[in-house]
Amino acid sequence: MTTAAPLPWTPVARFAASVPLAAYLAAVILPPLAGPPPASELAARLLQPLRPLVGLVYLGHGYRFFAPDPGPGHSIRWTAERADGSRISGSLPDPAADRPRLLYHRRFMIAEKIAPLVPPVDAPADVRRAARADWLPLVKGVAGQLLERHGGVRVELSLVEHYLPTPEEVVAVEQGGGARAAGPDGAATMADIVTPLGTFARAGEGRGP
Amino acid sequence: MTASASSVPAPVPRGWLAEWLAGWNAFWFAPADPLPLAMVRICTGVLLAWSAVVWLLDAPAFFAADAWLRPEDVWRMNDQPWQWSWYFWAGTPTAARLLALVTLGAAVCLALGLLTPVAALVSLLGLVSAANRTPLTTFGLDDTLGMLLVPLVVGPSGAVLSLDALLGWGDPRPGVRANVALRLLQVHLCVVYLFSGCGKLLGASWWEGTALWGAIANVQYRTLDLTGLARHPLVVNALTLATLFWEVGYAALVWPRLTRPLILAMAAPVHLGIGLAMGMMEFGLAMLTANLAFVSPGTFRAMVSTVSTRSPDPSEGLA
Repeated sequence: MTTAAPLPWTPVARFAASVPLAAYLAAVILPPLAGPPPASELAARLLQPLRPLVGLVYLGHGYRFFAPDPGPGHSIRWTAERADGSRISGSLPDPAADRPRLLYHRRFMIAEKIAPLVPPVDAPADVRRAARADWLPLVKGVAGQLLERHGGVRVELSLVEHYLPTPEEVVAVEQGGGARAAGPDGAATMADIVTPLGTFARAGEGRGP
Repeated sequence: MTASASSVPAPVPRGWLAEWLAGWNAFWFAPADPLPLAMVRICTGVLLAWSAVVWLLDAPAFFAADAWLRPEDVWRMNDQPWQWSWYFWAGTPTAARLLALVTLGAAVCLALGLLTPVAALVSLLGLVSAANRTPLTTFGLDDTLGMLLVPLVVGPSGAVLSLDALLGWGDPRPGVRANVALRLLQVHLCVVYLFSGCGKLLGASWWEGTALWGAIANVQYRTLDLTGLARHPLVVNALTLATLFWEVGYAALVWPRLTRPLILAMAAPVHLGIGLAMGMMEFGLAMLTANLAFVSPGTFRAMVSTVSTRSPDPSEGLA
């Protein structure tokens, strides 16, 4: 039993507002249930009629920040060749040049979002071939933008997975008993995993690894 | 004034469904003070304006035809055609810059509370357009700004603390739309923390209490060197578990008045810590802004009153 204060809106107005409210709540709750994997097929099906709303107001998120486990960071190492034969190299993101930090982070996301699509070099050939269809178009876009920025005619790209040292390894390095696991500014080191992505010419045709 | 016992209406017994309906109505449709929404508006406007400035630093690479992610490949990363973007019309670098400028202008107006309803809507369109055009460069900041902007479109976010209010265009009285907007943000924030926490429960490192080390040791994220914690594994363990329990428990513990201050107080070190140590200050501030939806108008008024009491009287020191 309750005694409620009178509400300003009429029952009809409250009902009329409740319908879009319920739809919005469903559009908020269903996307993180529907993906990324592991995800509910029921949620994915229930989400189908809400896709226009989810897209319209940008609600299609999984919210799994640093989940299930924080993993290693990635960057894309590149070497461009200009028309005069000179070469220029760099990294995407570039901790030294990409300022402010938010710009660095946006460019960092390029490597982070391409990385899960690229199988390791020792993956079975058919797995690597199948995955190529997913990552190659994205990498071609990155290559095209790098060529545009640096006036290159050809660019070679590699994905670098930066080694994530354990606490024990860090302590060992501090005590002088172990090899340095990660270089300054995230530069590639012996412990990093480098996966060639291919060489791309201005025309956009890639010569893959 | 106290009503006499005989004038108080007797409580009417209701069924279970009627109780649910009454609860739904009271939750969503009771009037609320627009002050917390205005605080959210100011912070969101500033953050979106800064984000738009950063987009403008490299707008063609984010949005034009030869961007990092080419227009013809956007469908590979999001749900086309529903995830629309006005940047699909921006083939040239100039068009990309102009549209990013529109977002910047709208965000500044939003922060100032000038033509707030229009500014909030254009800010949302600008944010969604950017995020949907360049999903290769988005991250939690963009998700959070989207979460913040929808309630600002729905509610009277310019009713107070705004140029609109100075011009007499806002109604500062408590209203239902302010409540709906704040509730939307509160519920959405609970969903974010719940899924963020539950997602972490899939990972062994969160159970083991070592997950934070993964963030500390990641040189790509690192802006503050905390690797000295390698010698203090139990501290890493405690910080990891505290973060995990806080995220998982947020959706339940932020509602009771007894636990709400504790939960909100913990949001500050968690998000500022991520911001300082992992270089994601904008994301941290955006999440803290969302937490403002749970702060009562009385608390905001007390803060404003404290600040104004401490401010020196401009007449002091005058002869």
